[in-house]
Amino acid sequence: MIDRRGALAGMVAAFGASVFAPLARAVAYQPNPVINTGPPAPVFTAAQRALVAALSERVIPTTDTPGAIAAGVPEYIEHMLGDWAIDDERGTILGGLAAIDARSMADYRMPAVKASAAQQDALLTLAMNDKLPGASEFFPAFKQLVLTGYYTSEVGITKEREYLPVPGDYDGAYPYAKVKRIFSS
Amino acid sequence: MAATDRFDAIVIGSGISGGWAAKELTEKGLRVLMVDRGRMVEHGEDYPFDGKSVYETPARDRMPAALAKRDYFALNGWVSPATQPFFINDRLNPYDYDAPNKFNWVRPSVVGGKSLTWGRWSFRWAPTDYEANKREGVGVDWPIRYDDVAPWYSYVEKYIGVSGGKENLDYLPDSEFMPPFPMNVAEKWLKGRLEGEFPGRKLINARLSNITEDKPEQNRTRCQKRSQCSHGCSFGAYFSTQAVTLPAARATGRLTLRSDTWVTNLEYDPAKKRVTGVRMVDAKTGRAEVVQARMVFLCASAMSSLHVLLNSRPKDSERSWFHSNGALGSQVMDHIFRVGVQGDIPGMTDLIEYGRRPGGVYVPRFRNLVSEQLPFKRGYGYQGQAFRQPAMVDGFGADMKHGMREYGPWRFSMGAFGECLPYDDNKVMLNFGKTDRFGTPLLRFDVTFRDNEIKMMDDALEQGQLMLRRAGLTNVTGGRGKHVPGEAIHEMGGARMGRDPNSSVLNGWNQAHDAANLFVTDGAQMASVSCVNPSLTFMAMTARAADHAVKQMKAGVI
Repeated sequence: MIDRRGALAGMVAAFGASVFAPLARAVAYQPNPVINTGPPAPVFTAAQRALVAALSERVIPTTDTPGAIAAGVPEYIEHMLGDWAIDDERGTILGGLAAIDARSMADYRMPAVKASAAQQDALLTLAMNDKLPGASEFFPAFKQLVLTGYYTSEVGITKEREYLPVPGDYDGAYPYAKVKRIFSS
Repeated sequence: MAATDRFDAIVIGSGISGGWAAKELTEKGLRVLMVDRGRMVEHGEDYPFDGKSVYETPARDRMPAALAKRDYFALNGWVSPATQPFFINDRLNPYDYDAPNKFNWVRPSVVGGKSLTWGRWSFRWAPTDYEANKREGVGVDWPIRYDDVAPWYSYVEKYIGVSGGKENLDYLPDSEFMPPFPMNVAEKWLKGRLEGEFPGRKLINARLSNITEDKPEQNRTRCQKRSQCSHGCSFGAYFSTQAVTLPAARATGRLTLRSDTWVTNLEYDPAKKRVTGVRMVDAKTGRAEVVQARMVFLCASAMSSLHVLLNSRPKDSERSWFHSNGALGSQVMDHIFRVGVQGDIPGMTDLIEYGRRPGGVYVPRFRNLVSEQLPFKRGYGYQGQAFRQPAMVDGFGADMKHGMREYGPWRFSMGAFGECLPYDDNKVMLNFGKTDRFGTPLLRFDVTFRDNEIKMMDDALEQGQLMLRRAGLTNVTGGRGKHVPGEAIHEMGGARMGRDPNSSVLNGWNQAHDAANLFVTDGAQMASVSCVNPSLTFMAMTARAADHAVKQMKAGVI
C-alpha cells in the first residue's frame, strides 16, 4: 500500500519553494513524535558506564532470581538520564559516581569499578549514610533508578515477581501464602 | 462533487456521543456520514499496546519530560507512550488562553475519540441535578427533568452493559446493572466502619461501563481484570465507539465513516433557519468541501463543538449565527478534581488482591442533599480503592531485594469529583489574531474556579480525612493540588439547553433554537454538571435526541 504521507511529501518536495501553504503544513504535520526505543543517547563515559553497572548489581544482586545487570538496569539508567533528566539531575548521578570513585582511590587505591563486591558495598553504604562529600543526593536517586528499572523490566515483572497477563478473575481476599510473591501490576 | 442528498444526516465526531448518534440514526433507517478529525483506529487491530506489559512499551511507558512539555502540555500526565497514539499533539493543534487562566484541554486524535481512553465510571444524574438550577436561581433552568431521561438511561445501559450494585438512593439512581466488580476485603471492612460512623453516608461498588458478563451478540467478552483499559481492549470489555456503537452502525450498511476530516464550520441559511452544509477539510490533502444533509448532529466533544459553532458565521462577521442571544460559549464548566486523601487500613495482612479491577469503590455525594448551613452549593463524591503495594525496604543488596517480596499494609486512597457552578463569564471565544493550520481562529479559554468551587474543595479535603480517621485508618493524609480547569476532562457547557430561546442555545431535545435541523448532544449541552461522571448522560441524551430528530424528520418538520 502506498504511504500517502510519503507520496504527498514527495510531490510537495518537487514543488520547491512555491508550495501552497496548506500542503506544506500537511507534510510538516507529524501527529505522533517518535519515542526513542533504541540504544540510549550516550550520557556516561565507558568508565562511568562500567561503574553504574557494578553498583546497580550491588543494589539488586543476582540471588535466586537474576540481578540488575541481567535485567538491563544499567541501560535503563542511561536511557532515563539521556531522555528524561535535566542537567541538574544528571549532575546528581555523575557527581555521586565521582565521589565514590574518589573515596575508592583513597581507601583502596583503585577505581571503584575494580573494587571487590564487599568494598563496593562499603562505598555504597558511605553514600547511603551521607558520608561522601558532595554526594548527599546520590544514593536515594540511584536506588530509585535501579528499583524502577528492575521492577519494570521483563526480569523484574516475570521472574522476580508474578505476572498475570490475563488474570480473568478478581479475588479481593486472596491468601498471600498461595503465591509468596508480589503480583506485578 | 455533488454531495447533496447522499446523506440524510451528518454526525460530526465519533466519540461517546457521535458513536451513539451514528448507531441510532442508521438503525432508524437514515444514511449517515460520520466524520472525525482523528485517524482511523479499528477495534483490536489498531491497539498496538493491548495486552502489552510495561516492559513491552517504549521507555517503560514513561513519557520523556521534554516531549511531554513540547507536544503534550495539556495532558498533564495523562499521556504515556502506550496511550500516546490516541491523543492529539498540542503543539501542532494549539488553543489559546491568558497565562493566569490556564486551561488544560485534553483532546483525542482518533476515531472513537475519548471513548478509547475514558475513565468508564458511569452514573445516572439524579433528579436533584436537573432541578438545582431552578431551586437555587443559578444559571438557567433545565427544560427537562430526570423522568425525561430515565427511559433513555435504561435503553443505553442495557445495550452497553454497566456493572454496579443496586442501592436505592434517590440522589444516585440505580442503573440497569450487571453484577458489580466485588469489593476487596479491606474495602468491605471500610464500608462497615464508615457507614457506622457516618449515618447516611455510603461506600458502594464502583459503577463502570466494564462488563462483568459476556455480550456474545456484540462479540464482547467480560472484563479480564488486566487494568489496561486505556491501551484499547480487544475483548471489548468496556464501552468504546469501536467495540459497541461503530459495529452496530456499520451493520446497517448505511454508515459512511470519514477519518482525518476536520470540520471548520457549518453553513447556515438565516431565512430558513437551517444548517445548509458542513464545511470539512481533509487533513491529509488540505482539500476543503461542503457536504450537505437534511440534519446535522454535532458531537465533536463539548469545546470542539463550541469551536465549530463559534466559527459558523456570516462572511466578514466575527459573530456566530448561533450567538444571537450571547449564550453561546458561556457557562463553561469542569468538575473539581484535585482533592485526594489516603491512609493505612489496619490488619488483613495475610490477604492480597488477585487480578486487577478497572475500578474500586465510590462514596456518593452527601452534602446539600437536605437543607444544610454550608458555605457552598451542590456537592461532591469520591472515587477510591483499597490496595496493597510492595513493601519499601531501606538499604540495598540481597536483604532489600528479598524484603521487597512482602506487601506493605492495605492502603486506601480516594479522590473527589465535585460540581462546578455555571458562570456567565467562564467562557470560550475565538481568537481572530491566531489561526490553526486550517485557517480557523483558535479557540480561546477564559475559565476559572470561583469561591464556591474552592470552598467545596476545602470541605472535600476536610471531610475525606475525617471519614478515614474516624473509620480507623492510620497515617491519614490529604492534599489539594493546584487545579487547572480542564484537568478533570469533564469540560462541559457553552451551548446550554434552556426553556427560553433568549437565554439558551438548545431546546429540551438538544435542538438548536436557531436551526431546527441542528442537534448538539455532547457535553456542550449542559446547563449544570452534577458531580458524577457525565458520559452515560451524553449517551442517553444522544439516543433521546436521535429518536426525536427522526420522528420530526419523518413528520416532515425537519
